[in-house]
Amino acid sequence: MDAVIRTEGVSKVFNAGLADEVRAIAAVSIEIPRGRITVFKGPSGSGKTTLLGLIGCMSRPTEGKIFVEGKDVAKLPERFLTNVRRKTFGFIFQHFNLIRGLTVRENVMLPLYPTDIDGRQMERRMEEILDKLDLTAKRAVKVEKLSGGQQQRVAIARAMINEPAVILADEPTAHLDTKLSEDFLNIVTTLNIDGKTIVIATHDPLIYDKPYIDNIIEMRDGAVKETAPL
Amino acid sequence: MKGNGRIIEYALSTLARRKFKNFSVAAVFSVLIAVLSSILFLTHAYKTETLKLLDNSPAIILQNMSGGRHELIPTEYIKTLSGIAGVGQIAPRYWGYYYDSLTSANYTLMAVDEGMQDVKLIEGRMPQTDTECAVGRGVADLRQAGLKDDFFLITGAEQSVNLKIVGIFTANSAILTNDLVVMTKDGLVKFFNMPADRATDITIEVNNPAEVSMVARKIRHAFPNSRPILKSELIRTYDNIFNWRGGIVLTMFFGAIAAFMIFVWDKATGINAQERQEIGILKAIGWETSDVLTLKFWEGAVVAICSFFTGLILAYVHVFYFNAQFLAPVLKGWSVLFPRFEPMPYIDIYQIFVLFFLTVVPYVAAGVVPSWKAAISDPDVVMR
Ligand SMILES: Nc1ncnc2c1ncn2[C@@H]1O[C@H](COP(=O)(O)OP(=O)(O)O)[C@@H](O)[C@H]1O
Ligand SMILES: [Mg+2]
Repeated sequence: MDAVIRTEGVSKVFNAGLADEVRAIAAVSIEIPRGRITVFKGPSGSGKTTLLGLIGCMSRPTEGKIFVEGKDVAKLPERFLTNVRRKTFGFIFQHFNLIRGLTVRENVMLPLYPTDIDGRQMERRMEEILDKLDLTAKRAVKVEKLSGGQQQRVAIARAMINEPAVILADEPTAHLDTKLSEDFLNIVTTLNIDGKTIVIATHDPLIYDKPYIDNIIEMRDGAVKETAPL
Repeated sequence: MKGNGRIIEYALSTLARRKFKNFSVAAVFSVLIAVLSSILFLTHAYKTETLKLLDNSPAIILQNMSGGRHELIPTEYIKTLSGIAGVGQIAPRYWGYYYDSLTSANYTLMAVDEGMQDVKLIEGRMPQTDTECAVGRGVADLRQAGLKDDFFLITGAEQSVNLKIVGIFTANSAILTNDLVVMTKDGLVKFFNMPADRATDITIEVNNPAEVSMVARKIRHAFPNSRPILKSELIRTYDNIFNWRGGIVLTMFFGAIAAFMIFVWDKATGINAQERQEIGILKAIGWETSDVLTLKFWEGAVVAICSFFTGLILAYVHVFYFNAQFLAPVLKGWSVLFPRFEPMPYIDIYQIFVLFFLTVVPYVAAGVVPSWKAAISDPDVVMR
């Protein structure tokens, strides 16, 4: 199998050595197949967000190895980790994490500001994505003025702007009603058809019960319970 | 525009987003800079002006001493003096102090002399007859007298001298002329009742500046009772006066610096939760630590540099257009007859640089350092 990401015995301990030490995940070994939609399923507190953050290079594991495109990133210095994150991943956060006071357009382009991408190319990319997500009309609106569904689409647009191979989404339907959740899934499947690898952490059956979602990694108490047959 | 340019642009938009906060900060910053640089501008202008005017003073002023006190000097000394090698022009000077009970102030009465023609800063002209005089701005103001007005000085028991004001020194030369009353030599000699063969002191030029102290030594040898005062000593004395007066001002200066530091400290001790969150988001979406620091640097630098120059301009206008009106009360102790000084815009670039490094640099650092702590931590915090 062609895996974009592979983990080997990954653990993450928060507040190590302190009274409130937590072993969020322990000895997790998984593979994320390229070009498919993978779901981390499990109850709240089972370690889905932590695992998503680790494979997305948001932090480093306490133990174990994480291979991104075959390269172990577990021990990479911060700067290189950022570089991998920027080139490989687009994040859709549970709380969207848009920057208030900025317009849709500014929020979407933000990841590209420090790069050397030509300004016109940047604009073109943004227009294309806004069009795809039906946000063109909202481009000059401040994000806090948008509805929840619109805000999520801005978050998706921002995750796509650096043309990542992998899109990671944490509890994407937590703040959406059924209709908007379906819309989200439609967008995600379109992206998947376009070749993106998708990883979703969720405890929402509306997502993991979808028949076309065939790669489910079930988590409980920080460990992987079983991997659905591929 | 690439990378850094866009980060600067984003820094500006971030500042604009927190308009109220940043505007208040910039206002406080500008006012502090205005106070600090007003002090610097004013003291420097005073000093420069005084030293420039002193520059016209003679290389040596010879005083006669008796019992440790300044006595009138015999004009016959001049003959001996002109025999000393290296000595240039020699001239007697006639002047004295006068306490004016009418206005409770000390005036300096002085006879017209050659050197004085250099002070061109006068309305009207110098006195030509014994009944004419020229007065400093301060004297004219105290007496509420103008050009062509009468001006009388009391000489003793119910006797007075009546003069006509034919000239007033303009404020530009106020440091040296403010308390001055200039009369003709005969008028002055008569007023002070000086013996005909005496002067107040004697000015001596020296052809080669390097020989001044040697000439002074020879003079002291020829006239053991005399005291030659060198220009260099005079400048040093004035320098000391400024440094001492400057002490009061310095206290104010450090007061303002202290206020500034409190202001910086307040900023350095914390970035709020929202800023921390934004730093986390930027990192999470692919900004490097250095990109975040560049952003914070520019946010601080734009505020600090704009405020710095605003403050500088405010101070310039305050000191040089409004004659330092707000500082004047602090400086009143400067002279018995406080000169209504209109400082010339002399600016010490070095001082401006020092001020820049004392204010802009700590301010920018105070913005970057706490962000640095937030920027090096893992961005996964924004996932919760
Ligand atoms: N930064 C952290 N510090 C301390 N404990 C944490 C931290 N992040 C997660 N945890 C803990 O780790 C466990 C797994 O959390 P999380 O990965 O958020 O699970 P999920 O996303 O499945 O709800 C929980 O017990 C949580 O409280
Ligand atoms: Mg979670």
